[in-house]
Amino acid sequence: MQSKMKESDPILEVKNLSASTDNLPILKGVSLTVYPGEIHAIMGRNGCGKSTLSKIIAGHPSYNITNGDIKFLGENINSLEPEERSQSGIFLGFQYPIEIPGVSNLEFLRVSTNARRKFLNKEELDTFDFEELVKEKLEIVKMDQAFLSRSVNQGFSGGEKKRNEILQMALLEPKIAILDETDSGLDIDALRIVASGIKRISNAQTGIILITHYQRLLDEIKPNYVHVMSDGQIIKTGESDLALELEKRGYEWTDNFIKET
Amino acid sequence: MEIIEKIKTNKSIDNQTEIQKICLDKLQSSPLPNPRSEQWRLSNKSKLSNFLDYSVNENNSKFDIPYAKNSQSTIRLIIGENCQIKLIEKNYSIQQLSEDELQKYIKQQISFFNQNENWSDILNLSLSCKNNILGLKINGSKIPRIEIFSHASSNSLNAKTLIIFLEKNCNVELLQVNLGEDNSSLSQSTFFCLEENSSLNHGVVSYGVNKSNLLNSLNVIQQKNSEYNLGSLHFRFNYARFEIRVKQSEGNAKTNIKGMQITKKDEQISTYTKIDFDGPNGFLDQINKSLADDKSHAIFEGSIIVPKVAQKTDASQLSRNLLLSHLAQIDTKPQLEIIADDVKCKHGATISQLNEEELFYMRTRGITLTEASKLQLSSYFQEIISFIPVSKDRWDLLDKLLNEN
Repeated sequence: MQSKMKESDPILEVKNLSASTDNLPILKGVSLTVYPGEIHAIMGRNGCGKSTLSKIIAGHPSYNITNGDIKFLGENINSLEPEERSQSGIFLGFQYPIEIPGVSNLEFLRVSTNARRKFLNKEELDTFDFEELVKEKLEIVKMDQAFLSRSVNQGFSGGEKKRNEILQMALLEPKIAILDETDSGLDIDALRIVASGIKRISNAQTGIILITHYQRLLDEIKPNYVHVMSDGQIIKTGESDLALELEKRGYEWTDNFIKET
Repeated sequence: MEIIEKIKTNKSIDNQTEIQKICLDKLQSSPLPNPRSEQWRLSNKSKLSNFLDYSVNENNSKFDIPYAKNSQSTIRLIIGENCQIKLIEKNYSIQQLSEDELQKYIKQQISFFNQNENWSDILNLSLSCKNNILGLKINGSKIPRIEIFSHASSNSLNAKTLIIFLEKNCNVELLQVNLGEDNSSLSQSTFFCLEENSSLNHGVVSYGVNKSNLLNSLNVIQQKNSEYNLGSLHFRFNYARFEIRVKQSEGNAKTNIKGMQITKKDEQISTYTKIDFDGPNGFLDQINKSLADDKSHAIFEGSIIVPKVAQKTDASQLSRNLLLSHLAQIDTKPQLEIIADDVKCKHGATISQLNEEELFYMRTRGITLTEASKLQLSSYFQEIISFIPVSKDRWDLLDKLLNEN
């Protein structure tokens, strides 16, 4: 299975990536390669740089890349704007999805979807065609149509916000999705809906990076690789059983790897 | 003194109304507002002088109303043009105030005027001729929406005055639109008296074009159990002042105010509010938003007066401001004067730039920085716009205007 995956070119290659914000180094040489069909999990203590890595891949303007490269589908994207990265197929699912009062969710989703479709040389959708498409996708995350007429994420519960993120992922059909603690704040049922949504959207041509603290999401979506981050570096990579080991032993166990390093 | 000469030249003393004579007399003692007073210290003096530069014009030139009337039942009035109205229907009546009623009411108001605080009203009443004063008394229920337009023509200084009495138990939705042409000055003074159990949903939309000026003064007296809701928007003026004075004369009344001003280029737009609670159990919820870009200047000064008689007042005043350029300037000063000891009053001010995290979120969904900024601004406008009693077709117009802005 794995060797078959690697016959194709990687979707994402992060090579020796170092980055800082306000002259404070956050990432200190991260390397990560994701091939089509792969699911990677990144785990680590709070503040170890997991979310920063996801934001830098998505192009957050507050971070400076001080060394290394991010390649997406073989092209260096270090200098691309966040919207260009999104349009070309990188999706970031936020840990805390932002509320945008006064902007209707439906219109927001339509503008986003059309930006991606334009990049893919597909016909842009008018409101009526888009409503048809979005109805179909709503089913994936078991969301009610009423969510569409509300403002983006405003007044949504934690679970609804996360489902709205997965809905966006379903509409944008990214090549790679980085899901930053998508499982946080979800009850068991919501977690299952979100996990099942992710599984339905992903396929052999897409890659997924799950950033999580908990095994429970990985019980639903089995990763091919698990990476442990500490102090801006990936200190250990293993297969799915590494997450189980972490769950059992805690992050103190990984401190030994740092010492060994 | 120049403005007084201009008024006198325009109209001989024999042709002046009694109100004009009284106000001219007051204006004589302070031809300009005191630049050191709290209400005028931040006002751009050369822009104020530009306001007064144009020749006084009592005639009203034709102008294009920016949107069609959406419903036959809407009552549309243009101050100075078609002020004749007498509607006596089964459920309601709208009639013009008699000359005596007008004189009596205005004189009573003038007796309370403070020279600096009401300088804009004094100027307005010195300039406003009979034709440009609209006085209405409204009573009853199921009253159709009312739209009232004021307009200033190019190269002239026009003054328009509106006085409305809302009689007991009467509910009214009123949109006031103030329009300025290029190189024009509009002096607009409005007086509302809300009797017991009446309510007024009032929208004020004021916009001009290049080098339009506006002095817009609004005076509201609320009797007990009345409700006054104001949604206002001022933009595209070289110089504009919006002065709001609300007096809850016996307390036990509700006031909700949501206002916004947008400044660009080197414009200056300011909002001054004074809310007086003259009785117990008064309620106020006020938010004022400013958005300043380029080298413009937006000002908000608000005061809430809660004397000893105004126990159990519940008042909140918030000033939220967005600074879009490092050369733009925002001054904001919400303030409370509280003597009563059993009240719930709060005030606050924030000045920020566009929310970076919101922008980043939208950009990660493929929306360009320009589009994301537009969406964020329209979301910023939304809270205020949705409070202005305007229907969907006019909202589209506003949307277009704001986007052009």
